[in-house]
Amino acid sequence: MIRLIWSKEVRAELYTWKSVLWLLTASLVFSFTSYLLLTNKELTLLDQTELLWLLSQIIVGTALLIVTIDASSIITAELEQHTAESLFVAPIRLTDMVVGKLLAALTLWGALFVVAVPYMVVTSAGTRLTLAFLAYVALLGTIGITAMILLTFGVALLFRSSKNTLTTTLIILLGLIAPALFSSTLKTSSVAQIFSRINPVDNIFAALDNVLVDYQLSLVRNGQFLLPLVAFLLLALVFMVFAARRFERKGLVGSEG
Amino acid sequence: MNKRLIWLLVASGSCVRAESSVRSLVLEIQSAQTLSGVAGDYVTVEAQIRNTGSQPVSDVTTYLSLVNTADKLPVDLEDWSAEKGLFIGTIDAGQVLPLHWKIHFVKPGSYALLIVALTAGQGTPEVSSVVLFQVRPRNSLNPGHVLPVALGTPVVLGSLLLALNYRRRARR
Repeated sequence: MIRLIWSKEVRAELYTWKSVLWLLTASLVFSFTSYLLLTNKELTLLDQTELLWLLSQIIVGTALLIVTIDASSIITAELEQHTAESLFVAPIRLTDMVVGKLLAALTLWGALFVVAVPYMVVTSAGTRLTLAFLAYVALLGTIGITAMILLTFGVALLFRSSKNTLTTTLIILLGLIAPALFSSTLKTSSVAQIFSRINPVDNIFAALDNVLVDYQLSLVRNGQFLLPLVAFLLLALVFMVFAARRFERKGLVGSEG
Repeated sequence: MNKRLIWLLVASGSCVRAESSVRSLVLEIQSAQTLSGVAGDYVTVEAQIRNTGSQPVSDVTTYLSLVNTADKLPVDLEDWSAEKGLFIGTIDAGQVLPLHWKIHFVKPGSYALLIVALTAGQGTPEVSSVVLFQVRPRNSLNPGHVLPVALGTPVVLGSLLLALNYRRRARR
């Protein structure tokens, strides 16, 4: 059943001109960034590893934004278009629907990653960091994006409205990304340091910095960044389960209100 | 070395007098042959300071000084090198100490570099001989074949977009 929902979502949501347009937009962002980083007179003076780090931030940041926007409507669309009734009349559990749609949203991340691969290979040529670059962007991106999708699904099941879900999740995403982009001088206060330690986006960027700039390639050496990220994933899962149970308790009628 | 360049080096941060009296400290730049490079490169300026006198010399600090000879302007080393001054402390009679500066070639051009040693309580610094070097521009129109990827990927995706749109219209 999960596979059916996933393939239906992939056909209906991803295999469309809208989805390809997102991929095209992402590729234009990656093209512009990588070309600028490699050819701009001032930017080419950066160490190649710092350049890779900047590109990895752009890739993960763009993917977080696109997948969050997609995930914010993937569940609420069923409620707003009144297709959820027919879905639940069929022997489909809410869990099947959520997992199927989670896999569909992750497929979009997979497609974005595939689009980003040529850029990562070209920019990391000659650094011996290509495999680590690909592996860590895939790993950190997948954990972070899965957590954001679960959080978005939880918000969607609570609000049952695409507009409210999109607004809320974009504010959350902005709240996580903006402080992660602050320079280290702005993170000297203890409050900023604590937030930086628990902020999942900050941990993704710090882990990429640790791998690409400081050559700390092993998972153990990146454990300090991976653990808070996994904790955020678990918290998002707990929130989504809470929202799903509340949704089941109230039933579909709740969407009318 | 023309007089104008000497005055530029003086203006770049350190006071230099062409003839000094009794010199006990001697500065020598050893990496003079390896300094040229391409903008963006990191190179190490290797030098040494020698106390040729019979008495120890205390409280010595050495500085790097750089001038763009084409623009005839002193260079602000903040972007080029993390540390301008190296505090030596005391050099015993006959002692030789190595000096290292890692510098980042930021801008292409022709440059003159020298090292200055200041001793506390002495008005006249010791200077090394001047090393002239070139920083070549980095011509990177297509580094690592980024251009085919940067242009090719959006073109492939754009074609896919058009194909999907065409197929959808054809089905109608």
